[in-house]
Amino acid sequence: MIRETRSIQTQLAIVGTGLGGLAAGIFAKYRGIKSAQVGHTGAITYTTGYFDLLGGLLGEQILDPWQGLSSLKKHYPKHPLVRIAKEDIHKALNLFNKELNNMGIGYSEPGNTNLMALLPSGVCKPTISVPLTMLAGVKAKEAKSPTLLIDFVGLQGFSAVEFVANLKKSWPLLTAQRIAFPDMIEGQQVFPEVMARALEVPSTRQKLAETIKPFIGNAKYLGLPSILGINKPDLIHNNMEELLGVKVFEIPSIPPSVPGMRLRELFEQKFVDKNVTLIPQHKVEHIELNDDGAKLFFKDPFGDIEISCKATILASGRFLSGGLKAEQQNIVETLLNIPVTQPTGRDDWYQEKYFDPKGHNINQVGVEIDNNFRPLNTKGEPINRRLFAAGTIIAHQDWVRQRCGAGVSLSTAYQAVKYAAKVLD
Amino acid sequence: MTQKILDFNKLAHELLPKGSGYDSCIACGLCSSGCPAAGFFGMGPQHFIRMAMLGMNQELATTPWVWTCTQCKRCLYICPMNIDVSLLVGAARGAWPDEKKPQGIMRSCEAQSLNSSTSAMGLTSEDFIEITQDVLEEIKAEDHRFNTLQVPFDKKGAYFVVNQNSREPGVEAEEMGPLWKILNYVGANWSYTSKGWAAENFCMFTGSDAAWEKMVTQRVDAMNELGASVWINTECGHSLYALWKGIERFDLKANFQPGNLISYYAQWIREGKLPVNSDWNTMGLKFTLQDPCQLVRKSSGDPAAEDLRFVAKKLVGADNFIDMQPCKSANYCCGGGGGFLQAGMREQRRAYGKRKFDQIAATQASYVLTPCHNCHSQIEDIGEYYSGNYHVVHFWTLICLSLGILGQQERRYLGPELENLGLVPGDINAKT
Ligand SMILES: Cc1cc2nc3c(=O)[nH]c(=O)nc-3n(C[C@H](O)[C@H](O)[C@H](O)COP(=O)(O)OP(=O)(O)OC[C@H]3O[C@@H](n4cnc5c(N)ncnc54)[C@H](O)[C@@H]3O)c2cc1C
Ligand code: SF4
Ligand code: SF4
Ligand code: SF4
Repeated sequence: MIRETRSIQTQLAIVGTGLGGLAAGIFAKYRGIKSAQVGHTGAITYTTGYFDLLGGLLGEQILDPWQGLSSLKKHYPKHPLVRIAKEDIHKALNLFNKELNNMGIGYSEPGNTNLMALLPSGVCKPTISVPLTMLAGVKAKEAKSPTLLIDFVGLQGFSAVEFVANLKKSWPLLTAQRIAFPDMIEGQQVFPEVMARALEVPSTRQKLAETIKPFIGNAKYLGLPSILGINKPDLIHNNMEELLGVKVFEIPSIPPSVPGMRLRELFEQKFVDKNVTLIPQHKVEHIELNDDGAKLFFKDPFGDIEISCKATILASGRFLSGGLKAEQQNIVETLLNIPVTQPTGRDDWYQEKYFDPKGHNINQVGVEIDNNFRPLNTKGEPINRRLFAAGTIIAHQDWVRQRCGAGVSLSTAYQAVKYAAKVLD
Repeated sequence: MTQKILDFNKLAHELLPKGSGYDSCIACGLCSSGCPAAGFFGMGPQHFIRMAMLGMNQELATTPWVWTCTQCKRCLYICPMNIDVSLLVGAARGAWPDEKKPQGIMRSCEAQSLNSSTSAMGLTSEDFIEITQDVLEEIKAEDHRFNTLQVPFDKKGAYFVVNQNSREPGVEAEEMGPLWKILNYVGANWSYTSKGWAAENFCMFTGSDAAWEKMVTQRVDAMNELGASVWINTECGHSLYALWKGIERFDLKANFQPGNLISYYAQWIREGKLPVNSDWNTMGLKFTLQDPCQLVRKSSGDPAAEDLRFVAKKLVGADNFIDMQPCKSANYCCGGGGGFLQAGMREQRRAYGKRKFDQIAATQASYVLTPCHNCHSQIEDIGEYYSGNYHVVHFWTLICLSLGILGQQERRYLGPELENLGLVPGDINAKT
């Protein structure tokens, strides 16, 4: 096969296309920095779509995340979020939000307090920003409005009846109905992705609306699992509201779910321009750091690719995404073998009780950084003055328990780009 | 022959790269979510892996699902752990007793082994030469501008060796004309071979490595003999993949490089040798594109996808081009791959194709550009079956349309609005 080795010269290389990496890409673009970005399927693909800033601390729900940050500082002085000025966190969230809106997925503006957003199990979680397709759910729940919740024959992991059962006490006017999604094969499993892509077709939306209408009754709101399209969710959401004559909202379903796919495909299609190269579904195999920057090496089907850059941001995530890897006894960082702060032995990875409010030690592991967001070696010195870290690969945060996944990713990305920009000047 | 029962998990360990064995599956379900064959016979890629892990070898060896997987490798593309299901699907197919394999695929493979032409439609070398000569005469008679057009066979010193899918000489011979005209237009030094000329490869789909290897060897020998530098396989992704992957897999010596015609179109356009434009599209007809997985995801990756778009936009106008979603390397197979079109499982094939149909319908385009032959047939079929409102065309048709050299007979895939557009006046021959 005719193959070519390609060299990409850029200012900033970003390793990872999770929330951290993509946010870094956006912030770099915003600052006029030329960037090249490589990453594969990671945690972002499995998210609910909600952007959490800080929703939990020591087993308590946090309603005002901005105030929560002060308590966080007391208990977790090394937490990456408490090393960043609130003002910068604000900027990071707002800028990311604005860009997503510009590119075509609407998100609610991050406010002063958390929203109580619905989860597929029927519980709510505090979060700072939600996709516009999900916003009405927060309001319906808050106002306890008459609401019909739909699920689908053949869809696994989302049951309207269970959802209603869990919320019946606090939301008596919530009812459930199961329907068959138009044109699906009987007796077969139906995936949210399949329904979402089908709803990109106007005639399918009409058929679905016709199927739902007879059950609406007095309901003012209609909830369904997150299936309102992949590429034009807001348009499809509005169209369904028009067709049904009620407010419509989505509830995230369990993975493989649609909100993460939306983000991934949005970036693949809308993010790239003459200053931004994005190489999706690939992983960097090897990095050589040098005084002037770095060289990154990997292959795609067409041949070898080499990225030369003046600064690098490592946003390769944790275990699920492959930024960190658990070996027999210890945890390692996979690309540069950066020291990982971790419990002394495997026995200390988990607490005895799964729901221990302290959380599990394994969920705090990661690389150490200096004030400029550069990862550190065992002596506590930056590994390279042009290497930065962003996202959940950074130690001392437990995004699972603290519900701070997006908050950590976006604001650390903002900082990493800010400091990278300084070495690029 | 009785059914051979493979140890799938062990085989996965042997065949798949380290770290991407079945035991690294995190059960995230992304593979099945994006697989149009997921659900048939209660199976899907994630099921396949789980069953292999559980040692359900008997079930895996006998499930007809393996004939509905088009081996498009979309599951591999999206999988965070890089797990390839399709390799073992191929192995499972191979272990089926021949008499139980879908007979359509078996017959096509057998036909390919009958004589040195390797045509699945049973066309001989003589047939092929005769048909091309007939078509050539017709073109010359219709339009004197092509009086000197040539269709060379076994021409020593040719730079390109070109294969042709039997479907054209077999059932739509006029469709060969546009390709010849383009090669002529850019002054390409090219040749067919009289042996091993057929581009399709059904033996790969039978799961029998021996049959696949035999087919590839025969072709490679024929092309080695000619001594051309670059082999192109019309616009078809399927044929390209089956040959070059075969060359790699069976470690054959090829003294030519496989190239893809679309990237040559792109190159010729950039060099000014193929001065196409979209001026003809005054009606603003909308076009979308099926990225053949065999050409893009499985062969050349996104650089090939970019070339496809570059050529398409030049031809129809950037504003008239609408990408299907998802696209490029993330594209879904249409359901024509893996021998599905020949496998006789029409209901499943069309259900598979429904995913593609929805993606096409979402673009609201009235034309689908499909370089690959398999995609072409399948997308036409599902368009008809699901009452779609689109036509399916090859690139060569539009290139010739744009250059004003598309003959009357070469428009079978165009809609009525383009039936006569830019046709040379009937009396053009009379005038000279
Ligand atoms: C099931 C689930 C639900 C979640 N729900 C929420 C939620 O509701 N709200 C919220 O705020 N957060 C949520 N999160 C957390 C959120 O997804 C993460 O906090 C966030 O995605 C972390 O971003 P990241 O960029 O640090 O890492 P990741 O998203 O993990 O991305 C890491 C990236 O690095 C890439 N990578 C790894 N190694 C290499 C390499 N060698 N070369 C190139 N690339 C590499 C990976 O392919 C991936 O693209 C959820 C996470 C999970 C798993
Ligand atoms: S995508 Fe990969 S990891 Fe996920 S279920 Fe499929 S094979 Fe397993
Ligand atoms: S190769 Fe294609 S058809 Fe086969 S399991 Fe994977 S995604 Fe499905
Ligand atoms: S038929 Fe087309 S889309 Fe399907 S596998 Fe073949 S090349 Fe890919």
